[in-house]
Amino acid sequence: MDIFLQQLANGLTIGSMFALVALGYTMVYGVMRLINFAHGDMVAASAFVGLTIYTQVMGQATSLPAVIAIFLLSAVCMACIGIILERVAYRPLREAPRLSAVVSALGASLVIQNGIMLIWGPRMRIFPELVPQVYWDFGGVVISLIQVIILVLSLVLMVALYLFVEKTRIGAAIRASSIDQDAARLMGINVNRIIALIFIIGSSLGAVGGLFIGLYYRGITFNMGWQYGLYAFVAAIIGGIGNIPGAMLGGMLLGLFNAFIAGYVSSTWADAFTFILLIVILIVRPTGILGERVAEKV
Amino acid sequence: MHKLSKLMLAAAAFCLVAAPALADTLKVGVQAPITGSYANEGQGIENGVRLLAEQINAKGGVLGKKIEVIVCDDQGTAMAAAICAKDLVNQGVKMVIGSYTSTCAEAAQKTYFNAGVLQTSDGTADSLTAKGYWTFLRNSFPNSAEAEFAANYMVNVKKYKRIVVLSDFSTYADGLANATEAAIKKLGGNVVSRDKIKADSQNFTPVLTSIKAKNPDVIFFAGYYSDGGQIRSQQVALGIKADFIGGDANDNPDFVKLAGSAAKGAYIINVPSPDVLPYDIAKSFIADYQKKYGMMPASIWGLMNIDGMRAIIHAMEANKSFDTRKAADYLHNLKEPLPGITGPIAFAKDGNRKGGSYVVKMVKADGSYSYEYVK
Repeated sequence: MDIFLQQLANGLTIGSMFALVALGYTMVYGVMRLINFAHGDMVAASAFVGLTIYTQVMGQATSLPAVIAIFLLSAVCMACIGIILERVAYRPLREAPRLSAVVSALGASLVIQNGIMLIWGPRMRIFPELVPQVYWDFGGVVISLIQVIILVLSLVLMVALYLFVEKTRIGAAIRASSIDQDAARLMGINVNRIIALIFIIGSSLGAVGGLFIGLYYRGITFNMGWQYGLYAFVAAIIGGIGNIPGAMLGGMLLGLFNAFIAGYVSSTWADAFTFILLIVILIVRPTGILGERVAEKV
Repeated sequence: MHKLSKLMLAAAAFCLVAAPALADTLKVGVQAPITGSYANEGQGIENGVRLLAEQINAKGGVLGKKIEVIVCDDQGTAMAAAICAKDLVNQGVKMVIGSYTSTCAEAAQKTYFNAGVLQTSDGTADSLTAKGYWTFLRNSFPNSAEAEFAANYMVNVKKYKRIVVLSDFSTYADGLANATEAAIKKLGGNVVSRDKIKADSQNFTPVLTSIKAKNPDVIFFAGYYSDGGQIRSQQVALGIKADFIGGDANDNPDFVKLAGSAAKGAYIINVPSPDVLPYDIAKSFIADYQKKYGMMPASIWGLMNIDGMRAIIHAMEANKSFDTRKAADYLHNLKEPLPGITGPIAFAKDGNRKGGSYVVKMVKADGSYSYEYVK
């Protein structure tokens, strides 16, 4: 039983990181019908940006305000890069066939990944121990402070995002833009601004996810974005792409699924099973768990 | 113009006369990664070979011939290594020192074998001596020697009762882990689990959680530092009280940084570093090296290569012949080991260096090492 609970705790921790990254995919898809393949690399970039802010701007301070400042500054930096990305890589192609935008997204992914390599080098960089290694043992199940922080902060961010989208006027504008951009424009919504906002929110959440990866695993490499991006993408599809609660649910489910497969079957098979799960979901429920069945526009 | 052509003629004539005199040297090739990721190791080999050649030449050379060093940069890639091998053979070398990596040594092996040129390399892959080339002499110890050392340390020195052997899927790590597991079983030790992780996957908690259920005394990890540091940190985070022992590829400053405060108390097995070599030849050679180059040798691997070169030259002098076949036979049948910088040198029939010199280091709270066990 302890092993089951321990795997549950492990799964929830990585699941919440997947969910944060998956939100970036799903929000962009919801409004633009575009898979932003560069999102995973944005997450990786945020870990490097956070590390540089820690060493250069914060002077390696490890106090709580300094750590909060690292999170805020990284999120702001990544939000700016997100806006630039949208302007340069996606806006010029908004009227182009969808395939062109996907190719542009793949190109942007390579540019960011290689950019990280050129700036920070190809070697693994190591994150400082910003969160003290504190553990609690609950009768065999050990939970660390960093796991609690990741889980709680992720949940808070996700609930805040959900309330923002469901309860505010801007949230209503986001939902309107995702249903029909032209109609939204006719109703006086500045869709360009909404899309920029989507990129700001998605990139900042991704930045938090990237910093969590850095804080939790400590080692960061320039090409790690691909791995996390792929997982988050799968999570977004499992939950129903375009659906915000779906991305949260998908991320959590994927994290748990991964932990249990790796723990009870074999870590070698974890990836294979993840993609088998994806195929099964696509066959049984092509719109994902929470995705609504929408009539295809013909 | 007239003067110039006369000068050239004179130069050409000089060359013709001087050529046999120049050819009367013992040509020693160095095939090493002078540039690329392993440049500091490659340059360490070149520096060491040049220093040894200088010292031998100062004493009159080998059997009356001066040593001439010819360096070829294999950049740490198999393709450049194959080209280097052809080039060095064409230049008429009798022996080649290097290369640093098993991959490069392996890519060049056949060319040297076909030309009857002796090759001595520090590559540790077991496959290097599996081909039966009499020209190849390994100057380091193969992975199987590390496995035996690790097994003996765990079973007989630390007396662990429940051992977990962990590796990734790479040839090196999987090979070392399998050899260690076999050696532990031979010594009567108890391997409770043999697990594998996917390198670079970062999240090792699922595997470690199932390891925790087996209640081990020790986790022996045969893979690389980039995973090892994270495994150590996640092991401590999961409250697994077992000791951690990493194989030689964990001996990297990044291991300690990755594991952070969890690094304290982790053990790492490796060959000794140059500064702890107890032998007199080692001390005097390293002192000369520091005087000439103003730094310590990059690692023990360069010194292992120097030992290989010293052994071959010793064999030629003992045989009073530059015949490479005879030198190889001599080294394969040494009555007693030669004194070496990195310990006694003797070779098995297959070209493997006999014996093994390893140390166990423990990470201290400040991230430095203390030596726990030296053999």
